[in-house]
Amino acid sequence: MRNEPPEGLILGAQNDTLRVQLDEAQELLRAIQSCEVDALVIDSGTGPRVFTLQGVDAASNRFRGEILAQVSDAVIAIDDDHRVTYLNAAAERQYDIDLGAVLGQSLSKVYQTRWLQPGDETVAAIALREGGAWRGENVHVKTNGRELQVESSVTVLRAVAGEPAGLLAVVRDISDRKRTQEAVRISEIRYRRLFEAAQDGVLLLDPRTRKITDANPFMTRLLGYSHEQLVGKELFEIGLLEDEDASREMLRKLKDMHQVRYEDLPLQSQGGQHKEVEVVANLYDENGSAVIQCNIRDITERKRVEEHNKLLMAEVNHRAMNLLAVVQAVAQQTARGDPVTFVERLTERIEGLAASQDLLVRNEWRGVGVLELIEAQLAHFKDLIGTRVLLDGGPAQLTPAAAQGIGMALHELATNAGKYGALSNGEGRVRISWQVAAAEPKSLFLMSWSEEGGPSVAPPTRKGFGQMVIGRMVEKAVSGMTTVEYRESGFSWKLSAPVSEALEPVRLTRSTWGANV
Amino acid sequence: MCKQLARILIVEDEPMIALNLEELLVSEGFAIAGVAEKLEKAMGLVDQGLCDAAIVDANLAGVSASPVASALTARGLPFIVLSGYSPEQLPDAFRGALFIKKPCRPNQIIRALNSMILKP
Repeated sequence: MRNEPPEGLILGAQNDTLRVQLDEAQELLRAIQSCEVDALVIDSGTGPRVFTLQGVDAASNRFRGEILAQVSDAVIAIDDDHRVTYLNAAAERQYDIDLGAVLGQSLSKVYQTRWLQPGDETVAAIALREGGAWRGENVHVKTNGRELQVESSVTVLRAVAGEPAGLLAVVRDISDRKRTQEAVRISEIRYRRLFEAAQDGVLLLDPRTRKITDANPFMTRLLGYSHEQLVGKELFEIGLLEDEDASREMLRKLKDMHQVRYEDLPLQSQGGQHKEVEVVANLYDENGSAVIQCNIRDITERKRVEEHNKLLMAEVNHRAMNLLAVVQAVAQQTARGDPVTFVERLTERIEGLAASQDLLVRNEWRGVGVLELIEAQLAHFKDLIGTRVLLDGGPAQLTPAAAQGIGMALHELATNAGKYGALSNGEGRVRISWQVAAAEPKSLFLMSWSEEGGPSVAPPTRKGFGQMVIGRMVEKAVSGMTTVEYRESGFSWKLSAPVSEALEPVRLTRSTWGANV
Repeated sequence: MCKQLARILIVEDEPMIALNLEELLVSEGFAIAGVAEKLEKAMGLVDQGLCDAAIVDANLAGVSASPVASALTARGLPFIVLSGYSPEQLPDAFRGALFIKKPCRPNQIIRALNSMILKP
């Protein structure tokens, strides 16, 4: 008995064991009270026995668990230390994790949170602390680095005594929705910009009231009404349609055909300016409700250009008719000559008219330089210019009428020289001179055509077309005088005309202005 | 009025056409009251009162010949408008005249002149 421990010591040890057992029992009781324990397993003489503690509650808890497993949103519960205590199947799928691997682990093994705005995290913490719940959006970064846009609803879980024991979060992946929203937003911005920047007027109308619901900035510029003045008005009130009946008629047509087009609508702007507009109205369906869109194009400038073109065409036609009348006169005159050479002569003369016409058009009817006229009318003797055809004169711009008359004369002179005169043999020469000579009361434009070295010359026996052209015709064209000489040495022709009749007025160029200043 | 005595004024800026008309009229037995390429000359000739009828080109090198038309109308003188323009493009002063579009056949002009001058 002496080796046995003293009785007091044994009692102390038993007391310690009992205290530990009491602590365990108290902890178990707390766990049962705070619903952390569903069942107890008791070792008994007949083997372990399971005691469910909560009866119907346990069954309903299981039922709740099954529901949570079925929902498509991720459901996650964590304890106070942010360790995962529950995850449903949707959460496993959403975060690409396995329940077994993360249960009891830190929430960071499931995802990391990234907040959208700097203050968001604080706002959430305050909401949870003070209201016990928070609902909002942020980004969950999965363990594989991929980001999810999520919308979470978080509730504080409380123990029986009411103190916080963790959080329960229902998390919905809204990445797709966000992407769609973003696409819609970009599309909205894009079409807004089109609407705002369009160089056509755009009006939106409510088909039920026929009133304007929106107008773009161009529309306000076009009509001079402010946006506020436009909204709430009917089309006829801003002068786009004649009256209310026209407004109704448009709507009726729109319902039938979904598009109505009005061309050439005359329009008065607020400032009294006259505008020509083209209106295209379309009836659209916008998510089940109808809307009318009117595009109004200012065609005032286009109309002006069309009008101008019409005038130009009339002018071109007039000139063409006039030229044909000249050709007709030339043909009638040519027909008085030798019938054998009629076609050849007429063809040559039309060629000469065409050459002058070409120069006039190329110079936009602002006159033709003497030199270029000579080169055009003497195209057949181009190679002789500078050798047997000598040109002597300064720059001078003939009026269109003078160019046409002198052009025809030069053509006849050259044809004659080639057939009978100085250019009909191998050595004859022609000198063409022109100058402006000071004279009273008017300065004169002088031009001459002198031949030498050709076959001997005799005056023509009959006054033909050529004589008429180099004589009366050109005299009329420039209100001038001509003289013709048939000397032994060669033929010569002289023209003198008031400068004001023959030449274009000298335009002051920049340099002459400069010299005057 | 006897045709042989009829004096015709030609107002035409295109000398080739004017000369051709002149020849045509002379060969058909008309007298030429004058040939005017310009408005002022034409007005002067009308004012002298030496013509019985006229052939007027509506456009004289870009200048409208409507004053000539008005002056002729005021004097009760018949005239032909000869133009490359269409009649509806011409000023009102030409409305009462006989319109012939350029280009035209010589006998169109002669017929028109005869019809105007032989009118009682």
